[in-house]
Amino acid sequence: MQTQDAIAPDYTERPKLNYLNNGWTVKSWLLTKDHKRIAIMYLVTVSAFFLMGGILAASIRLELLTPASDLFESGTYNKVFTEHGILMIFFFLIPSIPAILGNFFIPIMIGAKDLALPRINLISLYIYWIGGALVLWALMQGGVDTGWTFYTPYSTTFSNTYVMAVGVGIFINGFSSILTGLNFIVTIHTMRAPGMTWFRLPLFVWAHYAVSLVMILGTPVVAITLLLVAIERFARVGIFDPSIGGDPILFQHLFWFYSHPAVYIMILPGMGVISELISNFSRKKIFGYEFIAFSSIAIAVFGFLVWGHHMFVSGQSMYAGMVFSFLTMVVAVPSAIKMFNWTATLYRGSVSYDTPMLYAIGFLGLFLIGGLTGLFLGAMGLTVHLTDTYFVVAHFHYVMVGGQVIAYLGGIHYWWPKMTGKMYSEFWGKISAMLVFVGFNLTFFPQFILGYQGMPRRYASYPEEFQVLNIFSTAGASVLGIGLLMPAVYLFHSLIYGKDAGDNPWMHPGLEWRTTSPPPTENFEVMPVVTWEAYEFGEESGLDIEGARQREAMKV
Amino acid sequence: MQDTSWVPLWPEQASTFAWQVDVLYIYLILISIAFSIPIVVAVFVFAIKYRETEKFATPEEMHGSMVLETVWSIIPFVVSMTIFLGGAIVYFNQFNPPDDAMEIYVVGKQWMWKIQHETGQREINELHVPVGRKIKLTMTTEDALHDFFIPAFRTKADVVPGRYTYIWFEPTKPGKYHLFCAEYCGLNHSGMGGWVYVMEQRDFDNWLSGNVSGQTPVEEGRDLFTNKLGCASCHAGGPQQRGAKLEGVFNTDVKLVGGTTVKADEQYIRNSILNPTSQIVEGYQPIMPTFKGQVTEEQLNSLVAYIKSLTPGASTATSTSAPATEAGTANTAPASTTAPRKTDRGKTAAPGSNPNTPNNGSR
Amino acid sequence: MSAHTYSNKFVYHEPGLQHQFEDMGQQEESVSIGMWMFLVQEIMFFGGLFTVYLVFRSKYPMAFAAGSNHLDAFWGGLNTIVLIVSSLTMALTVYYAQISKRNMQVIMIMLTMAFGATFLGVKAIEYTDKYNHGFVPVTGWNKVVRPGAAAEHEELAENKPCYEHAHGEEHAYVNPRGEFQWTDCSLAKQALDHNYLTNAEKIGYFSNGEIDANKFRDKVRIFFWIYFVMTGLHALHMVVGLGLMTWLLWTAFKGRYNMEYYMPVEMSGLYWHFVDIVWIFLFPLLYLLGRHFLHG
Repeated sequence: MQTQDAIAPDYTERPKLNYLNNGWTVKSWLLTKDHKRIAIMYLVTVSAFFLMGGILAASIRLELLTPASDLFESGTYNKVFTEHGILMIFFFLIPSIPAILGNFFIPIMIGAKDLALPRINLISLYIYWIGGALVLWALMQGGVDTGWTFYTPYSTTFSNTYVMAVGVGIFINGFSSILTGLNFIVTIHTMRAPGMTWFRLPLFVWAHYAVSLVMILGTPVVAITLLLVAIERFARVGIFDPSIGGDPILFQHLFWFYSHPAVYIMILPGMGVISELISNFSRKKIFGYEFIAFSSIAIAVFGFLVWGHHMFVSGQSMYAGMVFSFLTMVVAVPSAIKMFNWTATLYRGSVSYDTPMLYAIGFLGLFLIGGLTGLFLGAMGLTVHLTDTYFVVAHFHYVMVGGQVIAYLGGIHYWWPKMTGKMYSEFWGKISAMLVFVGFNLTFFPQFILGYQGMPRRYASYPEEFQVLNIFSTAGASVLGIGLLMPAVYLFHSLIYGKDAGDNPWMHPGLEWRTTSPPPTENFEVMPVVTWEAYEFGEESGLDIEGARQREAMKV
Repeated sequence: MQDTSWVPLWPEQASTFAWQVDVLYIYLILISIAFSIPIVVAVFVFAIKYRETEKFATPEEMHGSMVLETVWSIIPFVVSMTIFLGGAIVYFNQFNPPDDAMEIYVVGKQWMWKIQHETGQREINELHVPVGRKIKLTMTTEDALHDFFIPAFRTKADVVPGRYTYIWFEPTKPGKYHLFCAEYCGLNHSGMGGWVYVMEQRDFDNWLSGNVSGQTPVEEGRDLFTNKLGCASCHAGGPQQRGAKLEGVFNTDVKLVGGTTVKADEQYIRNSILNPTSQIVEGYQPIMPTFKGQVTEEQLNSLVAYIKSLTPGASTATSTSAPATEAGTANTAPASTTAPRKTDRGKTAAPGSNPNTPNNGSR
Repeated sequence: MSAHTYSNKFVYHEPGLQHQFEDMGQQEESVSIGMWMFLVQEIMFFGGLFTVYLVFRSKYPMAFAAGSNHLDAFWGGLNTIVLIVSSLTMALTVYYAQISKRNMQVIMIMLTMAFGATFLGVKAIEYTDKYNHGFVPVTGWNKVVRPGAAAEHEELAENKPCYEHAHGEEHAYVNPRGEFQWTDCSLAKQALDHNYLTNAEKIGYFSNGEIDANKFRDKVRIFFWIYFVMTGLHALHMVVGLGLMTWLLWTAFKGRYNMEYYMPVEMSGLYWHFVDIVWIFLFPLLYLLGRHFLHG
C-alpha cells in the first residue's frame, strides 16, 4: 500500500490506487487476502453457476410447454430438474449475497480494514471452487437424477447416476459456507470501529450475523448426511435401506434439519439488503430498527425447529406434524413484522425510483405472496393436498427468486458504483427490473393454480388439461430470462463505458459511502470513528448535501 | 369428468372432506388478500405521495412506535393460530380412518400401482370404488418412496418401504378422477398415474362380478392355506396340530411365550407368517418356518383376509355393501423383512395405463 | 465527522500482529471466537453421527452390545488415558508458553505428539485386529483366508447354530472373499429367552423360525459401520491435530511464543481438547455397551 495524504471523503477525483488496480498479476488475485477481491471472484463464479442453473430452468420450461415428454426423455428431464436445483441452491443462492456483498461490505460497513480472518476467507473461496468443480465434473459425466433432495432409498439404492460424486461435491462446498459464516461472526464481534455499537450497525450486518449462526450450526448436518448417503451407496450399509434394517425416513429428518434452516440462509441476507435499500431510497431510518434486527435472529433460531413441515405426508406421526405446523406459524410472524416495518419506512420519506428501489419494491410484493403461501403449506389439512404439487414449486420460487434473487439484483445495482466506480445505465436498469417483475409473476403465479389443480412436481409429462397454464408459465419464463440476462450485459458494459460514479452517488450516510469508489485496499484512507446513529440522514451525518445537489444540477 | 379445454381453478370436490380443504384454502386466500391489500396499497400510496421532490432531501426523523409493533405482531400471530387450528382439524379428519371403512390394499412399485380389493379384484393403475362408502387404503411399496395422490379427494400419503401407511376417503360423486404418484421415484415418475373410478353402488357391484379375476382374497387365502403353502398341516386342528389355533383368534389378545400379550391384528398375522419365531404363542414350540420370499404381498393380503374370516364378525364381506368390521391395524415398527426387489430400470414404461400421455387420455 | 486515526504504517507492530487488526487484543479476541465457532460447527458435524448412533442403538441394542463386546475395551481404555494425559501435556504447553519457558514448551509439545501418535498406533492395532477377524464392514477389506486352511475347525463351526458360539471360543476364520463376518448371535438368543427384544429386533433378527445369523450379522455390521466412521473421522481429526502440533513444535522451537504472544498455542490447545472430548464420548458409547453380558 502506498501512503496518501488524508483527504476529505467526498473528494471526487479517484485516487490512483484502489483495490482493483492494486496489483495486476493473476497471483495477486488468486493469493489475495483482500476481502473485496475475494468477493469479486465469488461474483464471477456465482454468476457462472447462475447462468448454468438458468439454462437448466429454461430447459425445464421448454419441456413443459407440451404435455408429452417430447423435448427430453424423462430420464434426462429428471437430471435437468435435479441439477437445476443443486446448482441454484448450493452454488448460487446460498453463497450469493453473503459471499459477494457480505464479504465486500461487512468490513467496510463496520469500519474495519478487512475481515477478521482473511486467509480463512480465501480458503472458503478455494473450497467453493473445488466443490463446484467436482459437481460440474459429475454433471458432465452424466449427472444425477435424484432430485436436489436426494431422498432415500431412491438415491442410495435405485439411482444409477453420479450420486456419490455430487454428494461429496456438496459436502465440500458446505465448508465454504461454514467458514464464511464463522468469519462474519468473528468480524462483527471484534472488528467494529470505535463508536460502532451493535445498535448503530446497518441492518445488512445484523442479517448476516443471523445468517452466519445458521450456516455454522446447520451446514455440518447436511454434510454428514450426504456423506452417509455416499457411504451407503458405496457399501450398502443399512442406515437408510429397510431391507437390511435401515430407515428411509431417518434420511429425511437429517436432511431437512439443515435444509429448512438453509432456506433462511438464503432469504435473511436478502432481507438485509432490502432493509438497506428501503431506508436509503426513502432517505429515512428504517422504522422499527430493533424489531427488524431481532426478528432476523428470531427467524434464525426458530428456523431450526420446523424441519418436519417438509414431512407431513411422509408417514410422520400426526402429533409430530401438529407441533411442526404450530412452530411454522410462529416462524412466520417475524417475517410479517419485517414487512410492516419496511412499508412504514416509506411513510413520510423521500422516495426515489432508482433501479435498486424498483427491485426493493418488487421484493415487497413478491416476498409477500411467497411468505403468505408458506402459510398455506404450513396449514396441515391443506398441505396434504398441496405437498409435492406445483403449489410448492411456486411458493419456493416466490420466496427464493422473487425474494432472494430480486434482493441480490437490487444489492448488486445499489453497490455497483461503490464496487466498480462506474455507474450503469439507469434506463436499462429500470427496464430489466420491470421485465423481471412481470416475467416472474407470469411464470410462477399460474403454478399456484396448477398445484391446487393437482399437477404434481417433477413431472416430465402431464395431463392435457394442465397445458394452458403451463404455456403461460413458459411465456413468463422467457420474459424473466431476458430480464435476468440484461443486467449481465449493461453491467459489464458499464465497466468499460460507464460514467464515473463518484464516492457517494446516492448521498447515503453509511460507512461504505464515505470512502472512495472503488475503495482502496485498506478500505479507508483514514479509519473512521463513528459518532452518528445508523441511517443518519440529517445534519449529524456530515454529508455535503448541498454540494451534491449542485453537482447534480450541473449534470446535463 | 375432467374437461380438457376449460381450466378451472380447482379440481372437483369428490370426497367428504374435500370441501373442508377447499374452505381452508379459501380462508387462506381471503387472509392473504386481507393482508396484501393494505400493504400493497400502502406501498403504492406512500411511494407516490412521498416521492422525492427535492434531490437528496432529508425527511423528518421518525422513531419507531411500540404500539404499532405490538399490534402488528399480535394480529399476525393470532391469525396464524387460527390457520393452524383450522389446518389441524381438517388434518385430523383426513388421517383418522373410520372403523367401518372398506379396505383396499395398495402396493406401489416403480412404476405402477397395484391395487387389490378385499373381494379379490386386482387392478393396476386403476381403482374402482363405490360412491358413498368409506374406503381405507393400506399401502406400501416394493422399492422406492412413492405417493398415492388423488387431487379430487384432496388427500395423499407417501408409501414407505418396510411399513404400511394409510389414507382414507369417502367418495361423494361418481366420476373419473386422476390418480398421481406424488413422490419422485425415478425414471417414469410422471407416468406412474392412473384413474380412480367412483361408481354408483349398483354399477360397482356389476363391475365387481363382471371383473372378478379369480377368487376373493378369502378364497385365495384358503387355497394358499390349505393347499399351496401347507399351513393346514400344522394349523388345521386334529392330533397333528402343532401350530396355534387360528379360528376366532383375529383381533383377540394372544399370550406369548415370555409373558407378554399382543393383539392379533393384521400386522401380527403378517409378522407370524414372515417371522414366526419372533412372537411364539404360549404353549407352542418355535418350529414354524418362515414364508419370507415365498409369498408375495398380495398373497399375504389374501392370507390375512382368510384368517380374519375364521373369526366370526371380522370382515368376510364378499359384497361391498355390507359394512366391514375394521380391525384396528396398529402402526407398528418399521423394517419389514421383504427385501425390495431391485426393479429393472429399463426404458420401457410399466404395464398398465399411462393416462398422463396425450394419447392415453381416457379409458 | 471522524477523528483521524492514522494508518498503522509508522506504528510499532507487535510481533505476529496481522495487518487487519488494530492491536493484539483485537486479534486474540478474534481468533478465540473463531476457534470456538469452528468447534461448535464440529460438534454439529459429529452430532449427526451421534444421532444416527442413537437411532440404531435404540432399534437394535443387542446387535450393538454384541459388536461392542468384541471391541477390546483394554485398548479403548488405554487410548482414553493416553488422550487425557495428552490433554494435560497440552495444557502445560500453554502454561509454559504463558510464562515464556521455551524449552518446557517444546518438551510438552513433543510429549503431546508422542501421546497422539500412541493413540493412532493403538487405533492401527485395533483396526488391524478387525481386519484379521473379518469385522471390517466392506467386502474385500478383510483378511482373505481360503477354506481348507484350518479344516478341522471349519466343520465344527458350520454345524452349530449361531447362538451356540459362546464367547471366547476359538473357531476357524475362513473368509475367501474378505467380507464382513459375524457368527455369534448368542446375545440375540439371550434377549429372546429373557424377552427384552425391541420391536425392531423382533422383526430384524428373525426368519424361518429361528434367529437368522445373516440378519443379525447385518445389524452388527451397522454397528461396525458406525464404529469405523466415527472413530475414523475422529482419527482424521487426530491426524490434523498432529499436523497442527508439528507446526506448533517448529514455531515454539524458534521461540515465537512467550507471555506476550501465545494465542496460537492456546488455540491449538482448544482444538486438541475438543478432539479429546469427542473421544471421551465415543469410548463408552462404542466400547462399553453391554459389558455385563461378558461376565455371563
